[in-house]
Amino acid sequence: MSDQSSQSQSLTNNWDSLQVEVAQYINSDVRVPLQYSENTKPLSGFVQRLKGKHGRFRGNLSGKRVEFTGRTVISPDPNLKINEVAVPILMAQILSYPERVSHHNIERLRQCVRNGPTKYPGAKFIKHPDGTEISLTSKVRHRHADDLKYGYIVCRHLQDGDIILFNRQPSLHRMSIMSHRARIMPWRTLRFNESVCNPYNADFDGDEMNMHVPQTEEARTEALMLMGVQNNLCTPKNGEILVASTQDFLTSSYLITRKDTFYDRASFSLICSYMGDAMDPIDLPTPALVKPVELWTGKQLFSILLRPHAKMRVYVNLTVAEKNYGKSGETMCPKDGFVYIRNSELISGQLGKATLGNGSKDGLYSVLLRDYSAHAAATCMNRLAKLSARWIGNHGFSIGINDVQPGIVLNKEKKVTIDKGYGQCIDYIGSYKSGSLDLLPGCNNAETLEANITGTLNNIRERTANVCMNNLHWRNSPLIMSQCGSKGSPINIAQMVACVGQQSVGGRRAPNGFVDRTLPHFEREAKDPDAKGFVQNSFYTGLSATEFFFHTMGGREGLVDTAVKTADTGYMARRLMKALEDLSVHYDGTVRNASVCIVQFVYGGDAMDPGQMEEKSGLPLNFERLFMKAKATCPAVEQKSLSIEEIDKTMDEIIGDRLSESTGTPEGESSQAFSASSNKEGGMETFDNSLRKFIQKKYPNSDLMLKLNGKEHPDEDKGYLEKIASNICGVTRQQLMVFLETCISRYSLKKIEGGTAIGAIGAHSIGEPGTQMTLKTFHFAGVASMNVTLGVPRIKEIINAAKKINTPIITTALQSDNNEIIAKIVKGRIEKTLLEQVAKSIKTSQASRSASIVITLDMTKIQGAHLSVDAYTVKESILKTKRMKLKEQQVKVLDHRKLEIVMHADKKKLQFELHGLKNKISKVVVKGIDTVERAIILNEAKEKDPSANKKMKLLVEGTGLLSVMGIEGVEGRKTTSNHIIEVQHTLGIEAARKKIIDEIQYTMSSHGMTIDIRHMMLLADLMTFKGEVLGITRYGVQKMKDSVLMLASFERTSDHLFNASAHGKVDKIEGVSECIIMGIPVQIGTGMLKVRQSVKPIELTYGPDPIIS
Amino acid sequence: MVETLFEDIFRVDELDPDGKKFDRVSRISARSEQFDMLMFLDINTEIYPMRTGDKFMMVLASTLNLDGTPDSGYFAPGNKKSLADKFDYVMQGKLYRISEESREKQVKADIFVSFGGLLMQLKGDPSIAARFELDQKLFILIRKV
Repeated sequence: MSDQSSQSQSLTNNWDSLQVEVAQYINSDVRVPLQYSENTKPLSGFVQRLKGKHGRFRGNLSGKRVEFTGRTVISPDPNLKINEVAVPILMAQILSYPERVSHHNIERLRQCVRNGPTKYPGAKFIKHPDGTEISLTSKVRHRHADDLKYGYIVCRHLQDGDIILFNRQPSLHRMSIMSHRARIMPWRTLRFNESVCNPYNADFDGDEMNMHVPQTEEARTEALMLMGVQNNLCTPKNGEILVASTQDFLTSSYLITRKDTFYDRASFSLICSYMGDAMDPIDLPTPALVKPVELWTGKQLFSILLRPHAKMRVYVNLTVAEKNYGKSGETMCPKDGFVYIRNSELISGQLGKATLGNGSKDGLYSVLLRDYSAHAAATCMNRLAKLSARWIGNHGFSIGINDVQPGIVLNKEKKVTIDKGYGQCIDYIGSYKSGSLDLLPGCNNAETLEANITGTLNNIRERTANVCMNNLHWRNSPLIMSQCGSKGSPINIAQMVACVGQQSVGGRRAPNGFVDRTLPHFEREAKDPDAKGFVQNSFYTGLSATEFFFHTMGGREGLVDTAVKTADTGYMARRLMKALEDLSVHYDGTVRNASVCIVQFVYGGDAMDPGQMEEKSGLPLNFERLFMKAKATCPAVEQKSLSIEEIDKTMDEIIGDRLSESTGTPEGESSQAFSASSNKEGGMETFDNSLRKFIQKKYPNSDLMLKLNGKEHPDEDKGYLEKIASNICGVTRQQLMVFLETCISRYSLKKIEGGTAIGAIGAHSIGEPGTQMTLKTFHFAGVASMNVTLGVPRIKEIINAAKKINTPIITTALQSDNNEIIAKIVKGRIEKTLLEQVAKSIKTSQASRSASIVITLDMTKIQGAHLSVDAYTVKESILKTKRMKLKEQQVKVLDHRKLEIVMHADKKKLQFELHGLKNKISKVVVKGIDTVERAIILNEAKEKDPSANKKMKLLVEGTGLLSVMGIEGVEGRKTTSNHIIEVQHTLGIEAARKKIIDEIQYTMSSHGMTIDIRHMMLLADLMTFKGEVLGITRYGVQKMKDSVLMLASFERTSDHLFNASAHGKVDKIEGVSECIIMGIPVQIGTGMLKVRQSVKPIELTYGPDPIIS
Repeated sequence: MVETLFEDIFRVDELDPDGKKFDRVSRISARSEQFDMLMFLDINTEIYPMRTGDKFMMVLASTLNLDGTPDSGYFAPGNKKSLADKFDYVMQGKLYRISEESREKQVKADIFVSFGGLLMQLKGDPSIAARFELDQKLFILIRKV
């Protein structure tokens, strides 16, 4: 009996442990009863092999290890062209390219074969057409070389001019991997032109980069056409130029173009020969100074750089205001800060980052790229790189201790500024202590003090920075670098020379780490600048002990921030990419996902390519610049300028003609209709309208002078007046025609191409700037006390479609926005007012079996706050409050400002209940919306002009958009919240879409980043196209996508796989992820097209085929 | 004798009206005696010093060749006789802008010339501006008197 039971026991035991084994075989993370868990580390189960970053899905299927790659340290070489990369010989001997032997290359390849695998231009293998492969390590390779025939394939070493892909991690956008041409060079680093640092975000402090060698001609061509550096000078994020001069190139250009650099003929010619290795023909211009000595200026040097000889037909026209432009006088700016290039001649201005650097839309390279070609821009960059590297090598540029030594004037001014600021702070503290501080709107005493002191102290640093900029000698190296924009800011200089400034932790002054003080060196409750982390000293003078400690506090925050940020933004970028990867533009202009479900009818509302937009705000063309160019390149000479009527006529002719043929197609019509109906964010008017408007705006002022003078002067002067007028602002027929033609033809080239993987581009464009944002930044929305979440946390909230956000704010418009009293009344209606806030007293009185609470309202306070509250309304709100358990009879109104609440209860409980009730009563909301924290009145007009009409707005902190809109006095139609989910529930899905766009736009712009609105539109459309707001999270993505493989490669791999197998799901392998996993060409871009052939249906014959036919 | 486009005697009112910004270049503001023109001109003071109160003769011409043949725009060395022989300081540049400015019903015309980055602004009666063309090559010739 016992034997049997023990037997069955062991059977169940074994059964269970078998179950455990099987479960662990599949998923080793599965929870196991303790007695079965072995101490030995279990083998990883199937699930573990699949999931996670290094699992089968993400580690082996979505990304694979490849051959023909190399990786080493990078270093700069300005002598290389921007599309070249220097590959060490050692690498070139390992990497190879299979070249097919032909009539043209047979001798060269024979030599390679003879050289074998160890001597540089050599080869590693020969492949015969029948598939046999011969290694060339043996001595017989000389025979193989002689036997080489057409059609054989020689795996030869990498040679000059071979196409390679060059990449640096993190690959945040598509410019992180670009195609270059190889230059085989000695030594061991990969080298490239510094101008290409920006797209890779590379520097040379030990960075390493990867290279890949495409192995087929098709791959090479595609790489060159699509990924070539020359075709990626611009970022598709916003159309700004990304490959541009940096650092030393800017510094030397800045110094060369200084107004007082002069060269005699010898040195001028020498520098001219720098830029083209003395190989290019150069036309030497007449010297700017003819007498007493022949001298050329640095600006003439730049004119040569742009257009070395007369046969070169590049006419650049641009105006740029540099950093040090004095805001008036245009070219006559005394600091020479206004750059004007007319017909490739540098007229005025000292060149700096705005003209030559990245991140601008009307800089030199952008203009070259748009008006001429990528090649023109690239050659110009090459020339500038060579010129400046060699020039600065001779000129010398270094930094020393004397560059950061402040002068007597500077020290004195610094002392004055600091003393003044300190005095101000002490005054603030004094009035804070005495309670006489003028409160800022929405702040209490302490907050006001903090805001004031912080403002003053930040001002000190700014002021000292200005003093530095004004007092340092112009030869000061840090000053030069900061002015031309190559490195450093005025603040950096001020920190070295004058004053380090306020150290902050978490956006505030140093926190109290000890009891009521920051450090034991200070008195308790000390609020003066020194005690809260203001560093008076500069890095040159050295920091005191406490200052140093505060500085480390600030420094650590920065370090922690960057560490946290990378992980956070990386995950965000991954999610964005997974959600957007398969969106592409189809040939009908729609944006669809992989299962051809329409996400947008017309991309961005106007089907324009964001990477090619020329205007700052994202419009396709910068009319102003084009008009200037047309006028400068087509000199009027003998032609007469047109009158208003003539202009009108010409315009009608050309626009009518050209636009009807180019955009009059049904497609064009629809795009216009869409942009009109969806009212795209202001600027996107239809093209011809905006063109007309521009001309109409342009020419009335051209006739102003003619008319004005026509009256005063008789006929004889008219001739010359006309001449001047046409010189000043006339337009000839040719100029107008050229302008309109360029506008129209260029516009039609800017349409987005079918097949563009616009989803991936959009994901990059939003993900990449995320990495540059500091993690936690709080900004002020006009009011000092009102914080809004910004930066990465905010972007995360938006794309997660978070139900609960950190700082929900409802922006309320008022029906009458010019009256402060009305604004206050409305504010009172919205803001939550508790009974204790309006009660003068809440008294309890107690008898033996009954007790009562008498509430006296403070009517002066109520009237002061413009609340319509009296005892009757208070009674109502008490009764309305939940969990109060009071009957109507219990609450008695004594008079309009007094009411009594009577209680009946046991004697024992009475005491407790009375106090409980008293506490509850005091928290009763007598007026306003429960979910609202507070409301702040904002006067928008005041900031600009105090005398102007007031324009009141209410900012409401909290949720409850619907109730706020319902409040009397609120203009409901113009009231909105920054809480996207709430907007969706209250106003609908379209409003939510608009809100997503606006909020991302706002967040990005407050970090000084511009992103083309079309990317955000696409993201917003993707989040809303299912009819509800879906976040870019595992839940949202699951609802957007159908493919199991895609979901499995995203998150929760095993769940999706189990689920799919249980339900017998089918995956059509349409999306990007699936295709990559299966190793099939992706159906986006060039893979979108398929050659189809109509094949006759096969006739099936029944019965066996005849053996002999 | 070659035709000049403009000739007048100026008196330097001020050196560097906006403060000295460059070591070797100063901006002078000068007023003419005959046509009452106002001129701002950047001058290399290292090789041709100017002081407040100096009087100089200024000539604008489109070529230095005495026979009046137009200038090629490119450097042509050689000791030819030229208009420059009679002057101390000669610069070559390009007229890049003509603009107007009306103040109290008085219209003034400005011409702007850039001598390889050294700028000149000449403000005065519109009739003088009418002699000039946009994109014209200009020589400025200066001689102290």
